[in-house]
Amino acid sequence: MLSIENLRVVYHDVISVLNGISLTLNEKEILIIIGANGAGKTTLLRSVAGMIDFYDGSIIDGDIKMNGASIKGLDATDIMKRFGLTYVIEDRPVFWYLTIEENLGAASFSRWDKQVKADIEGIYSLFPVLEKLRHRKAGYASGGEQQMLAIGMALMTRPKILLLDEPSLGLAPLITEELFSTIEGLNQSGITIVLVEQNAHAALDIGTRGYVMETGRIVLDGSSRELLENEDVREFYLGSGKRERKSYKDAKRYKRRKRWL
Amino acid sequence: MVDFTQALGAGTLVGLVYALLGLSIVIIYRASEAFNFAIGEFLVIGSFLFYIFFFDLRIPLLVALPLGLLAAGLVGALVERFAIKPLLGRSPLSMTIITLGLGFFLRGCVQLIFGSHSYSFFLELPDITQEFGDLLFLSDPIWAGILSLSTFGLILFLLFRTRWGLAIRATSENQAKAMAFGIDARFILLIVWAISSACIAVAGIMISNFGALSSMSSIVGLRAIPVVLIGGMDSIVGALVGGIIVGVCESLAGAYIEPMGLVGFKEVAPYLLLLIVLLIRPYGLFGQIRIERV
Amino acid sequence: MKQRAFFVLVCVLSLFLLFSGPLSAKEIKTLSQFPMSGPVGSLPEFGWGFIDGMNWVNNEGGGVNGKKIKWFLEDFRYDPTVEVATFNKYCAEHTPDEFLMATGYITGGLKPLIDKVNKEEKIPWLDGSYSTEIFGDDGGPSKYPYYYSLGATYGAQLKILLKWIKENDKGKGNPKVALVYSPTAWGRDGIPEAKAYAKKKGIDIVAEIEYPYSATSATSECMEIRKAKAQYVIYHGYSGASGCTAIFFKTAKQVLKDVQLTGTHYTTGRMPILVCQDAYDGYVGVATRPFVDAVPRAKTPMDNPMVKMAHEFAKKNRSSEYQKGIQEKDAIKDMFLYMEGLTYALMLQKVLTDADKAGDLSREGVKKALDKMVWDFNGMFGGKKFSYKSHTIPMLQIFKAKVNMVDVEGKKVPTGAVVPITDWINVDEVKW
Ligand SMILES: Nc1ncnc2c1ncn2[C@@H]1O[C@H](COP(=O)(O)OP(=O)(O)O)[C@@H](O)[C@H]1O
Ligand SMILES: [Mg+2]
Repeated sequence: MLSIENLRVVYHDVISVLNGISLTLNEKEILIIIGANGAGKTTLLRSVAGMIDFYDGSIIDGDIKMNGASIKGLDATDIMKRFGLTYVIEDRPVFWYLTIEENLGAASFSRWDKQVKADIEGIYSLFPVLEKLRHRKAGYASGGEQQMLAIGMALMTRPKILLLDEPSLGLAPLITEELFSTIEGLNQSGITIVLVEQNAHAALDIGTRGYVMETGRIVLDGSSRELLENEDVREFYLGSGKRERKSYKDAKRYKRRKRWL
Repeated sequence: MVDFTQALGAGTLVGLVYALLGLSIVIIYRASEAFNFAIGEFLVIGSFLFYIFFFDLRIPLLVALPLGLLAAGLVGALVERFAIKPLLGRSPLSMTIITLGLGFFLRGCVQLIFGSHSYSFFLELPDITQEFGDLLFLSDPIWAGILSLSTFGLILFLLFRTRWGLAIRATSENQAKAMAFGIDARFILLIVWAISSACIAVAGIMISNFGALSSMSSIVGLRAIPVVLIGGMDSIVGALVGGIIVGVCESLAGAYIEPMGLVGFKEVAPYLLLLIVLLIRPYGLFGQIRIERV
Repeated sequence: MKQRAFFVLVCVLSLFLLFSGPLSAKEIKTLSQFPMSGPVGSLPEFGWGFIDGMNWVNNEGGGVNGKKIKWFLEDFRYDPTVEVATFNKYCAEHTPDEFLMATGYITGGLKPLIDKVNKEEKIPWLDGSYSTEIFGDDGGPSKYPYYYSLGATYGAQLKILLKWIKENDKGKGNPKVALVYSPTAWGRDGIPEAKAYAKKKGIDIVAEIEYPYSATSATSECMEIRKAKAQYVIYHGYSGASGCTAIFFKTAKQVLKDVQLTGTHYTTGRMPILVCQDAYDGYVGVATRPFVDAVPRAKTPMDNPMVKMAHEFAKKNRSSEYQKGIQEKDAIKDMFLYMEGLTYALMLQKVLTDADKAGDLSREGVKKALDKMVWDFNGMFGGKKFSYKSHTIPMLQIFKAKVNMVDVEGKKVPTGAVVPITDWINVDEVKW
């Protein structure tokens, strides 16, 4: 449903961050994007969600198409309203100074239907812990609670496509697991998901397909299974390569030698 | 004691007008972290727009006031669109600097259109002067207090009891987050500038009614600076308290300190107080305690 | 022989050119500076009055015994530094035998020029300043021999008011007076003289208040005056058109019901009638000029020849500006300003003509003419003559404001004037 063709993005007109990215997203799948810090994953999501100009970036080449029609240059709110695409930005995108309930309310701002109240109750039944904290300021909730709230808020926009940017960042493994099963559940209820993760293992476990990004390029793609079994992915992202390195220094030298592409 | 009550009461009434000025700075500061230095010009323009409706076109007050405020809001929105929006996402400092330049530009426009002489300004509101013994509270300041407080209340209601208010508060906290959740942060910012501009106009109309209106009235806008610095740049309660403090401080200085021979002390008193407050609480009395990342 | 004749011819011709050139080209030059625009306010009326006046002087007015004045007009934008710089520029560009007189408008420009004008250039300088510091007892001709003011000092104005209060007070005991003035150089000017004089005359100054231009309220000031039981307020150092004046009068009307408000030149006139409306009714003030602009303008009394002349000039030369409403662009908002510009023009003509008649059309000659001048200024002061020996035009009159609110198409508008309640007073001749 979503296809990106040879996308090039620069910040401040000079810092080139995406250097020709092409990828496709199929309906109802969980697409995983992995890559090191600074690879440009967030930039990619910003571009898709129509928020890149807000960060002083611009698309200088390529196209983003939704069902064949270009959405390049559309406003973030437009993209959300027309295609049901919601982007949960990295770093717990909740409003710290609003209560949990107000957060859910704020996230439903783009909607004018009467279902909002009922939907909020729905979120509470999905994440019961949020109901208990509903009048607490979100800034005082724990990291896991905030991430749940963020997903709850995303759901309040009634998304068809959900872009999640490193939701597991800074969460304890147990909570991450819980979070990922929630994401799986959302996918089963019919939401297409793009999941950007550093936590490659857990992500690939629930994902359908995946891309590996490095310095603004896609360097590898395939089904989750293929990626999980790929030597290099295992070595760089899963931390369990076959070859044993004697020391960290060795590993670094090896990495430097063996660049992608 | 009578003197004290008199000074306190009169100071509070004017202080409520200052509070409204403070509020209009605070809501813009919260939304974009910029300080609106063009506040004086907004005040003059807003008052003149009302002037046109009420005095020139002679529309009844109850219609002219909303019309004037609407027009003032529109000007605020226009200014945001053409001067502030292009800077969205840039540093708040550049926005603040733009407001400084904007101030000069708007002052020029006002002088060009309205000249620099004074326009008489008599709202002729019903006389509600209160006199008890030696205490005397004049009608116009009482009206100013009432109207400013009502406007203040209305803004609070808007911010804390309506969905638009929620969107404003969300956007004020973080534009990127708001945008990601489908709140059109740019439009919200426009609304905030419009509301701020309308609030400034209310204050301007009240103060013009004390005397007269001219392009020079813009200096009154500068009162907002000690108000928000004392109260806290990002605090709505702070604006209210800061406004009253500045009003009372001026009036007490006028009643007690100036007669001791320190003529002109009234002007500096709020700034002295400001200095003390900032020494004790650098973010102002009600500057928000930042939630640290968990 | 032929050659020799030719040589003589060339010599004679060149000599003739050498001497007759500058002789016939010697001009009478003056420089006038007014605040016609600028951040504080745009008062183009000054310039208009002056331009119309000078054009008349050079044509119908007969110039300086037939010679035309080459006059320069500059807008100093209410900025003393500009006033000073422009003057310096003209001094550099024009020779002292041609550039005979300069006029200025504010004290701020006079002070930095004290040495330049009085010691170096020695050029007669006419100014609009009423500064007591420069033209009062501690300054004056002995100290600043080339400075001349076009009106009595603020000190004299305040003293005349105090004198009037003392003479007209019907209560027992010393009259109680509150002084309200602006925290500006001109607001503070004259206050020490006034206080000393009050003491001498047995008047109690019961309150002294600096009320700023940026005031948003006059409640505490008025309450203080009320508490001090003042019977009179002298309001000094403000433009009558400013917002703070309106605030003060509106508040005083309610808080100080039985107190007589009085004031100095710039609060005695047309603008307060428009801006303060009926709060201005009953005000008593001194002014250095006859009242020139009633509300509405058509009701202005025309028995003063100078007032009449100003209106005729404005009607003839600036008919659209004259007829425009006060709130329209480029209207003559206050005829006082226009008449003041005209006043400067007539003064230039008078003094240059006097100097020319005395056969000394130089800076020194002009100074002598000024010092010797005895003039009625076209009947401006009710036919009274004044001499310039104090270097100020020492004439003052006390006026009382009469304001009526009338219904015009369902809207209440003020009408009124300030009317004289004394004859013209020559402060040089007053027995203080
Ligand atoms: N607003 C911005 N302005 C300039 N450079 C940016 C901006 N945002 C990100 N970058 C740079 O772009 C590169 C890619 O960043 P990002 O997309 O956040 O990567 P990732 O999410 O994969 O860690 C980084 O080098 C980062 O410093
Ligand atoms: Mg990232």
